[in-house]
Amino acid sequence: MSGYRVSRPSQRIDRDQTVRFRFNGRDYSGFAGDTLASALIANGVTLLGRSFKYGRPRGIVGAGPEEPNALVQLEDGARTVPDVKATQIELYPGLSARSCSGWPSLALDLKSLLGRCGRFMPPGFYYKTFMAPVRAWPVYEKIIRKAAGFGTAPTANDPDFYDHLHHHVDVLVVGGGACGLWAALLAGRAGLKTLLVDDQNEAGGWLLSEASARIDGLAAIDWVASRRAELDALPNVAVLTRTTAFAHHDLNLVQAVERLQDHLPAEARRADQPRERLHRIRAGHVILAAGAIERPLVFGNNDLPGVLTAAAAQTYLNRYGVVVGRTILLLTHNDAAYDTARDLALAGSRVTVIDVRQRGAAPARHAAVIAAGATVLTGFGIAEVRGGNRVRAARLVRLDPLSLKATGKGPVLNADCVLSSGGLTATVHLYCHNGGRPLWDEERLSFVAPAGGRDDMCCVGAVAGYWGLGEALRQTHETLGAWLAARGLGAAGQAPQADDIPAAPTRRVFRIPDGRRPGAGAKAFVDFQNDVTAADIHIAVLENYRSVEHVKRYTALGFGTDQGKLSNINGFAIAAEALGKPIASVGTTTYRPAYTPVSFGALAGPHARETFDPERHTAMHARHVAAGAAFERVGQWMRPHYFPRPGEDLHAAVARECLAARQGVAVMDATTLGKIDVKGPDAREFLNRVYSNAWSKLEPGKCRYGLMLDENGMVMDDGVTACLADDHFHMTTTTGGAARVLSWLERWHQTEWPDLKVFFTSTTDHWCTTAVVGPKSRDVLMRLCSDIDFAMDAFKFMDWRDGTVAGLPARVFRISFSGEVAYEINVEASYGDYVWQSVLAAGKDFGITPYGTESMHVLRAEKGFIIVGQDSDGSMTPFDLGMAWAVGMKKPFSFLGRRSLTRSDTVRDDRKQLVGLLTDDPAAVLTEGAQLLSSPQVTIPADMRGHVTSSYFSAYLGRSIALAVVKGGAASGGETVYAWSGGQVTAARIVSSVFVDPQGERQHV
Amino acid sequence: MFLIYCPYCKATREEEEFHNAGEAFIARPADPEAASDEEWGDYLFMRKNPKGWHWEQWQHAAGCGRVFAVKRHTLSYRIAGSWTLAAGKALFLQEGGV
Amino acid sequence: MSDALFQPYARSPLDPLDLAGQAVRPSPENGAWANEVRLLAYLTLRGDSADPAYARAVRTVCGLSLPDAGRYVSGVAGVLLWRSPNECLLLTSRRQAASLRVALVEAFAGLLAEVVDQSGGLTTVYLAGAEQVTVLRHMGGYDFGSLEPGQAIATVFGKTAAVVMRADAHGVHLIVRRSFAAYLWALLARSARPYAFTVGRLPAAGTDPVLCLQEGATVLDRQDRVAV
Ligand SMILES: [Zn+2]
Repeated sequence: MSGYRVSRPSQRIDRDQTVRFRFNGRDYSGFAGDTLASALIANGVTLLGRSFKYGRPRGIVGAGPEEPNALVQLEDGARTVPDVKATQIELYPGLSARSCSGWPSLALDLKSLLGRCGRFMPPGFYYKTFMAPVRAWPVYEKIIRKAAGFGTAPTANDPDFYDHLHHHVDVLVVGGGACGLWAALLAGRAGLKTLLVDDQNEAGGWLLSEASARIDGLAAIDWVASRRAELDALPNVAVLTRTTAFAHHDLNLVQAVERLQDHLPAEARRADQPRERLHRIRAGHVILAAGAIERPLVFGNNDLPGVLTAAAAQTYLNRYGVVVGRTILLLTHNDAAYDTARDLALAGSRVTVIDVRQRGAAPARHAAVIAAGATVLTGFGIAEVRGGNRVRAARLVRLDPLSLKATGKGPVLNADCVLSSGGLTATVHLYCHNGGRPLWDEERLSFVAPAGGRDDMCCVGAVAGYWGLGEALRQTHETLGAWLAARGLGAAGQAPQADDIPAAPTRRVFRIPDGRRPGAGAKAFVDFQNDVTAADIHIAVLENYRSVEHVKRYTALGFGTDQGKLSNINGFAIAAEALGKPIASVGTTTYRPAYTPVSFGALAGPHARETFDPERHTAMHARHVAAGAAFERVGQWMRPHYFPRPGEDLHAAVARECLAARQGVAVMDATTLGKIDVKGPDAREFLNRVYSNAWSKLEPGKCRYGLMLDENGMVMDDGVTACLADDHFHMTTTTGGAARVLSWLERWHQTEWPDLKVFFTSTTDHWCTTAVVGPKSRDVLMRLCSDIDFAMDAFKFMDWRDGTVAGLPARVFRISFSGEVAYEINVEASYGDYVWQSVLAAGKDFGITPYGTESMHVLRAEKGFIIVGQDSDGSMTPFDLGMAWAVGMKKPFSFLGRRSLTRSDTVRDDRKQLVGLLTDDPAAVLTEGAQLLSSPQVTIPADMRGHVTSSYFSAYLGRSIALAVVKGGAASGGETVYAWSGGQVTAARIVSSVFVDPQGERQHV
Repeated sequence: MFLIYCPYCKATREEEEFHNAGEAFIARPADPEAASDEEWGDYLFMRKNPKGWHWEQWQHAAGCGRVFAVKRHTLSYRIAGSWTLAAGKALFLQEGGV
Repeated sequence: MSDALFQPYARSPLDPLDLAGQAVRPSPENGAWANEVRLLAYLTLRGDSADPAYARAVRTVCGLSLPDAGRYVSGVAGVLLWRSPNECLLLTSRRQAASLRVALVEAFAGLLAEVVDQSGGLTTVYLAGAEQVTVLRHMGGYDFGSLEPGQAIATVFGKTAAVVMRADAHGVHLIVRRSFAAYLWALLARSARPYAFTVGRLPAAGTDPVLCLQEGATVLDRQDRVAV
């Protein structure tokens, strides 16, 4: 192939704007409006890559999203993008790209040697060849992957940003060709809110490539311009170009990605604009006008650089002013490709049409190509293309006029370019993503979307098999007219008029016979990107793959980034022939989103970086930051993990914080606990039903710890609930369980017990909670509050009081998660910052020490207090946790989970039960999650007794402690178990889970 | 991504506003303690999982928080309608309660 | 220590961002601008909207009828938003909140109804500018273009939920939980980035029923204490 520029009246490039770019280390120039592919062809670049399996040289085949070969690595550094199709890259000044494949280099590819020597790499080659020994596969895989040579992902952070935009429209038109434009116009004129999306840089579709078409007496491109102008003038219509609709979901949710900046030179890209925008379009009705893509024919060495589809050559010529070759052979089974031959001949190429049909094209088209100076050979096919790294010649083969077989030799013709036209393949993807099945049309030789569409979708133009411009516009007009009329939206008026030249019948050919048995002749490729040949499909069928889905997976047909846009129908047809079945009954593989590759950036959109996930902050957060706290995420909350002093690590800080809580006074931000206001005459009864313990006798001013079970009897949440008044409670939940518990209460109330009079209102965010903990906590509270009597007998453990703290109305709960005397001060969160400061000031004389979640965990573990979700995992009953005291089995109402506690499985003795563990070596801290074995010898299978759930070093006890769940643990006190972690076995003794103050005396002083 | 009508908000909203709350109209045994292990197990674990029309509960989690009934086809994903639990249950029973 | 020594101050959820320090007078070039409406008072009213006694009690105290689904009503007492068939949210000024709350508690006596203070738990963000609807469309899937004055709905914004109410053509209010306010703000600012987003100085209230409730942060008065 030796491409060059010509000037065409139809061209969409600007010859006055030269664009310099770099490819594979060399400088080239093109024009504004070029794609990388058109500019490379114009510069005579033919070799763009090496094939996946055989390392064969490959060049550009198509002109759009169908391109299988020309995958490039675009740009370097943080903005680099792998595997972009050169046919879809708009050229901009300074563009830099290189081939993705070819290892160690494009010129010398290791696989090409393998491909030549091996000669034959059948489907399943890698499985068959490299699977023994199985252990060596990872080694093989690395080399194979490197040799396969698909591009490299960027390693630096993406400097660009991406966003999402939601649309609600009456009508979404997918495709901005003739039919899409007309459909959008009819919908727009009828006053409907209409959105048209098109993946090209301008509307027009195939009309941009079709120089000679006329509509309503206008040159097609002028008709496009005036329709586009009319659309732009309608306030209810929006048009998005460079926008690919790539997925269709339930109820007409269509996703489309818009490329806003990729066509601009780096310096023109705006930092305040996203690189790409994902549009999520909810459409009342979708009008699919996605068109069709020409597929090649399958013949020997049809993958050599310089073999293209005829339609691609026509696009390069008419849209970009690029002639693909000087001596061109055009192989066709249909009349339409004659237009390409005519245009190329008129542009100066020597064109020979090789028509597989005995009688060739209809007279008008035949005459036109002859008049243009082309030659026509009928009744021939191409047996094989010849050349090394590029097309040099082709050997023809004479075909039987009736049955599809070679009957004799044909001439060898020199050429620098071979084009083929195997007919059109309708772009039915969006019709099929959501369960639609395309229909095989034996006359048009394509799967097409049904012209009738479906309830919420019309299919118009080529996607429904209307190849001719005139018939496509008529069908669009009639379809839209009927659809609008059915909605009382008036008459559509006149259909646009375009003439369709009468055509001779197409010949039903997919694979050109070469007179050899399958696999014996030159390789004839069906799928270029995955190196799948016609012979491979025959082998798959011979090896008894019957379903086309299995053939696809065995051969990798259609698996590439082009998703088989050129290869699928040829592959299905060859499989059908090998199976001896009609194509219609073989069917297609499943079309799944995305139609073309979509960047992760666009999919993630705003859900990245600081808005990746909500980071919830308490009202005291800024103070913790200022105090130098280390944070940890608990659910979505950012909580202080510990408060290191200069030079302290986690362990030193935690030891100091824990000792302060046990010996002096410490303070923690406990705001994140879930809080639910429960009120109503039946509030108490409701608590009785959803908690495992009894609530009937809890008086105002008192608090109680409650366990919440699911209906399986498993602990799902816990927390302290305070009785505010006879009919009013303040419930707390775990930090992570707040939303789940509220939803749980609402569901039971609404679905099962709507007769109970009670309201649940989340107050989690209203209150901020400051826990003041330790023997001196009372002294601190007394400095802050003068209207509560803190005397031991007046304000007991598990009491709460209403009062004034630091001048603010407050609820003070005397509850403890550490076993020490402790008070939780609740005030309106607006005053959180203030109250935290006030507590620190009041506690200063007592050495008040802020502490984080790590110390909280140590303190509670020393007391054997569980954390739901850490020491329990959704399979633990209260009995498993040793909390029978929190289960009121005698309550009159069978509370949630009650019945499950007596099921045969929940009463087993050998269930995993919560225990304490003390390591033989007091300095050894077990790994949380470590498996516990009965013996220090690790055997397979090991006798697994359970696992460590919580493990810390206790500064107060001067040794390590751990909580664990162990099969039959409740009755195994004193037994030694062995924790296995990271190859190390640590012996530990099963003990009570309460390590500090088993009598609970400290919190009652 | 479904569009679901909330009979309380009286509006059709995106699925992401809702939580599916499982099969609708599973009655909790009136006296759980009288239920056999098998009956209780059926109530806990056995679900219809039909290929076809299915009565489901959905909660308008990001909206009004109400739980309501939706009749949805598990194959075509068509939604026949949304009802308050009481209205849905009446219809469900009218249809034979399956 | 005597109570008189305490000097409580209130902080609004977005105060750590110092929006006041960044706020400028928005120009027409700013396609979107926003700011926090600081330290309003919020009262959740629970009660069955179909119960005439409850509706009467609310009307007597607030001078407002209960709003229909998805709507709000406003008056001197503030803005009353529909949240569910048995829940409304009253946005009011800190100045009025305590007395309204006392009056509501009294009026609800004997009814199946409740008032819950949420003043610490919520805040409001005002969003305005020519591209305000586009910004909302970046943030969530609701059909924000259809939201008219008088409507207030709760929906999903990114990975949280918030109430959006349209006051008038000038702008919308987003009512969000305290702990999610920073996230919602970040999402809003990010979504509005292509439209020359700025932090704007809030306008004089005009007819906007929410903006007219704002005032400076107030120190709670001893009278604000209400028995539970
Ligand atoms: Zn709702």
